[in-house]
Amino acid sequence: MTDALADLVVHYGLWLILAATFLSCLAVPVPTSLIMLSAGAFSAGDDLNLYACAAVALIGAVLGDQAGFGLGRRWANLLDRAHGKTAQTIARAREFTARHGGPGVFLSRWLFSPLGPYVNYIAGGTGMAWAQFSLFSLLGETVWVTLYVGAGFAFADQLETVATVLGNASGAAAGLVITVLLGRWLWRQSAAHRTPGA
Amino acid sequence: MGRLAHLWQHHRRATLAFALVAALTLAFAIRSAMFALHWSDPARRDQLVEPWMTPRFVAHSWKLPPATMQAALGDFAMPDRRRTLNDIASDRGVPVADLIAAIEAEIALYRSTLAPRP
Repeated sequence: MTDALADLVVHYGLWLILAATFLSCLAVPVPTSLIMLSAGAFSAGDDLNLYACAAVALIGAVLGDQAGFGLGRRWANLLDRAHGKTAQTIARAREFTARHGGPGVFLSRWLFSPLGPYVNYIAGGTGMAWAQFSLFSLLGETVWVTLYVGAGFAFADQLETVATVLGNASGAAAGLVITVLLGRWLWRQSAAHRTPGA
Repeated sequence: MGRLAHLWQHHRRATLAFALVAALTLAFAIRSAMFALHWSDPARRDQLVEPWMTPRFVAHSWKLPPATMQAALGDFAMPDRRRTLNDIASDRGVPVADLIAAIEAEIALYRSTLAPRP
């Protein structure tokens, strides 16, 4: 897995990084974190240029976020057709995004990165302000790119181990968010149902 | 009715999903902790020379001086950027395993010249 991917990174360099970061922001399953780690590692040996890799990764990621946001926004009028309970949920999602959206976008770029693409669609669909989205997307992607390209650069001689540790850690972080959100929802459901004084 | 019983009766799918995601999260956390522990053992830190690596990458990872890498590559000059060992071996028409063996021999030779660590 790493072998074939590292081979691609050596031969297609910046173009591959650009395509990978762009696509992964749209929820296309591309092993972008591995690609960025490899790019950092090859930069350490001077096969690629560290700054060029980081810049291209950032451009791809920011453009990908914009594309996801735009697609979400295009579907937004479909959301308006909803009525009844669904419309209420959407209204609540809009309110939530307006209140907490920025930090959510920021953290889902790097700490909870598996959630990132969906946050893009939701932010676009729930009518988050473009400037706010773009600012937090840029900040978050900068952290993401620095983290992964930087880790590849710093731990080039431990590439496979770093890839495994980071991959599992980001899975755990994203899983934790979903667990907490789902748990909180379930807790409220059961609390709402309890008879007063019980 | 207890909370759990209520959830199980009215939100069975969400409850199952919660249990599943919680278990997955735990599994990921344990896996990353185990790999990190494994990694902290210095004896296991050396990675192997592999066909996808480039001479520059090998030189960097094993902290080799340019002369050592040059010796391993033999008559061929250190290639321009972005040629893997696989590329170099097929240019020469030799099996990549031979090239890797030559590089590993040079690494061993170079390391034996270094002062032994206390």
